[in-house]
Amino acid sequence: MRKVAVIGAGMTKFVRRALETPKELAWEAAKMALESCELTMKDIDAVCFGTAPDAFDGVHMNGEYVSDGAGAWRKPFMRAFVGGGTGVFSSIQGWYHVASGMFDVVLVVAEEKMSSFYPHAQAAFLTIFDNFTERPLKPNLLWIFALEMNRYMTTYGLKKEDIARVAVQHKRNAADHPCAMLGEPNITVEDVLNSEVLAWPVQRLDVSPISDGAVAIVMAAEHVAKRLTDKPVWIEGVGWNLDTAYWTNRDLVYPRYVEYAARMAYEMAGIKEPRKEIHIAEPYDPFDYKVLHHLEGLQLADRGKAIELYLDGTAARDGNLPVCPSGGLLGVGNPIAAAGLMKIAELFWQLRGEAGARQVPGNPRRGVAQAWGDLMQIGTVVVMGR
Amino acid sequence: MSLLQPDPQAPSVWRDNLPVTSRYTYGLAGERFFRILKDEGKIIGSICAACGATYVPARAFCERCMAELTEWTDVGLVGELHTFTVLFVDMEGRPLDEPELVGFVRFGDGGILHKLDADPDDLQIGMKMEAVLKPKAERIGAITDILGFRPVT
Ligand SMILES: [Zn+2]
Repeated sequence: MRKVAVIGAGMTKFVRRALETPKELAWEAAKMALESCELTMKDIDAVCFGTAPDAFDGVHMNGEYVSDGAGAWRKPFMRAFVGGGTGVFSSIQGWYHVASGMFDVVLVVAEEKMSSFYPHAQAAFLTIFDNFTERPLKPNLLWIFALEMNRYMTTYGLKKEDIARVAVQHKRNAADHPCAMLGEPNITVEDVLNSEVLAWPVQRLDVSPISDGAVAIVMAAEHVAKRLTDKPVWIEGVGWNLDTAYWTNRDLVYPRYVEYAARMAYEMAGIKEPRKEIHIAEPYDPFDYKVLHHLEGLQLADRGKAIELYLDGTAARDGNLPVCPSGGLLGVGNPIAAAGLMKIAELFWQLRGEAGARQVPGNPRRGVAQAWGDLMQIGTVVVMGR
Repeated sequence: MSLLQPDPQAPSVWRDNLPVTSRYTYGLAGERFFRILKDEGKIIGSICAACGATYVPARAFCERCMAELTEWTDVGLVGELHTFTVLFVDMEGRPLDEPELVGFVRFGDGGILHKLDADPDDLQIGMKMEAVLKPKAERIGAITDILGFRPVT
């Protein structure tokens, strides 16, 4: 397989209700990514596009409908769709388009416009549940996360006020992100604990917001990347894995699907001791407890101990293992597929030393990004390095 | 503040919908599971001896080895409370008049998601919970034939 680098990235603001159509959001991000590495559509051999459920944009066959915004006109085009895991997966898809030798330069775009769903995007999730055993009860996603969070907290005896530190840190980090929707430099644990209870133990500020936005990256084969930039960021490892389709049969305390995806990516990257060899982590953080779950699945913390990275400062932007220096989904926003690709873009900017006020000190050399989704059972993991 | 936030600054929009109605067959395993729930008031699972897995509600095949599951078992009406939540808002983020309890009750390697009839202060993860069924004459062969679960007294 050929070596593959990320050579450019672009990102729209993440907002609650965008005026732009899904196509226009995708186009804005794609244009920024192309301009960042001074390429035009003539240089792009193929396009990969990620968007999550069609229901959000409200258009059946949404990938094809939005394709022109992603630059797919008269190009080989493929849509990736693994729910919340889509954003990170779309970069894996871009990677194998190039690594395989099929294409030298690929544009990868991820877009989500959740505000089209009316009155609230949560209702789109009703139809992901089992028709017979679950849908008659009219469940929503919050139930499942509340049930999982309660089981996780109870198993390890974790406190709400400790888990709230995750939300606080991410929202504070996001205050330094120009595209962020919920950056709040002065937010406190009390603010989180005093926010509205949605489904105990989940409260308003434990959750990332419904958002609109798009992100794009340009990926290139080694010989092209080296010609175009002095600072290519290499895709060193990729992994993905799917657990049982039934959440009732999953381990609610430990995400096996993340572990298996991470082990696949680490093996490819030659990583034996991830806690020493990974310098920045961008785990998927739609809920604060979920970050802890994912850090444990990524083998960056022992089971039940991920919270300690937040309590002792390790996860801070200037700590030994900065976690979500971008501000993550909790702070920047959560336009599903775009939020995952934002994590890849963040590692690109961080490893090039171009993250501005968000820059992690100490010239980080390697990072890991992860997303989670489908019916809450996929792990998608990418290791990037310079 | 709720999930539903009217926004006076929102851009102008065209309203339309995706009209879709579906009819879902219960399938090979579901047909039998729900018929037994309706007629006999039992919760049944299916067993894969090779994988050591008991699927509840019963399934037609084992997802691990893809074998057909022919061994069915009555798992009783009492399971273990694996986790629970107290709901304060509805699907659209509006506050509920009364908080509702939802739990996941484990049977075998799976289990059942359902409403709980209990005082939240009395609930503890790991406690035994019993299915409360509708009277036989009212059962139609649906998960709602189970009204919910309550602590075993
Ligand atoms: Zn089996």
